[in-house]
Amino acid sequence: MRLLFRLGVLAALCAYAQGFALAGHDAIDVDPALKRYAGQITALGAPDAKGEIYSFRAKRIRAETAFAPDELRGWRVTILAGARFANVFEVRGNSGDEITVTPVKGPLNGIAVKDVFVVENIPAAGAARPQ
Amino acid sequence: MKLALALALVVAGTGGAGAQAPRIPSETVDAFHAALRNKDTAGALSLLDRGLVVFEFGAVDPTVEAYGLRHLPFDMDVAVATQWKLETRRTGGEGSERWVLSTYRVTGKHRDGTPIDQTTLETVLLRRSGEAFRIVHFHWSTSDPAFQARSQRAQKNEPRDEMRPAR
Repeated sequence: MRLLFRLGVLAALCAYAQGFALAGHDAIDVDPALKRYAGQITALGAPDAKGEIYSFRAKRIRAETAFAPDELRGWRVTILAGARFANVFEVRGNSGDEITVTPVKGPLNGIAVKDVFVVENIPAAGAARPQ
Repeated sequence: MKLALALALVVAGTGGAGAQAPRIPSETVDAFHAALRNKDTAGALSLLDRGLVVFEFGAVDPTVEAYGLRHLPFDMDVAVATQWKLETRRTGGEGSERWVLSTYRVTGKHRDGTPIDQTTLETVLLRRSGEAFRIVHFHWSTSDPAFQARSQRAQKNEPRDEMRPAR
C-alpha cells in the first residue's frame, strides 16, 4: 500500500514536472476556477514552546518559478497526503519557499516531509473544517 | 499529550467536510459534485476513501493522493464552468458496499467559446466508513466519441505503469 502510494505520488509529480498533457474532465478546456499551485513539503518548521508547528518549507511541483515572497498570503492550503490529508490551513505569509500558516485552523502537527499539498487563492475561512 | 494529538489527527484525517457528513451513498456522490462546484477542495477530499482509484476517460489515478494532485483541480475547474444535470440514477449494493450509477447532461462553453454538450456516465463505488459512505472508485466516461478520443490522446503520455495488472 505504501509502495502504491509512493508510485501514485511519483506518477503525479512526473506528470506535473514534465508538463504532460492532462486528461479526464480537463480535456474540456475551461478557465481555471482559481489560481493554484501544487507543492511538496521539504522541511518542517521549528515547533513553538507548546510544540506546535506553524510553518514548513516547500517546493513547487511544477517549478518553473519559486513562490514569490508573500505571494501566498491569505491563500488556502489543503494537504493532499499523509496524516493531515484533507486538512485546511490559511497562509499567513511566505518568504520564498517557507510557508507560515495562521493559527485559525490549528497547528500543522502531523504533516511530514514529502507530503503534497495544493495552495489556492481563496480564503480558508469558509472552507471545510476538520471534524 | 501524544495520545491526544494522535487521536486528534485520526479524527481530523477521517474527514473535513464542513457540513454534516452525508449518510447515504447518493448523497455522498451529490456532495462530492457540490464540493467541486463550491471550490471546496477539502470537502471533496473528505468524501473520498483513502483507497480511492479513479478511472477517468481512459486515465488512471491509482491513489487518492494522485487524484487530488493531478485531476481533482481540473475537475473542479470543469464543475465551476459547466452545468451538470442529473438525468438518470440507479443505486444498489448491500451492507457496507454500495454503488451509484448516474448519467449527467453536461453543458457549458470551452474557453474559446465553443459549446460543451455531452452526456457523462459515472460509476461510483462506495464503502461505509463509520457513519458515512466514502467513495472508493469513480469511473467517468462519455457518450461523445470525439471527447473520448481527445481525452485519450491527451493522456497517452501519462505514466501508467503503476496500474499494470500483475502477471
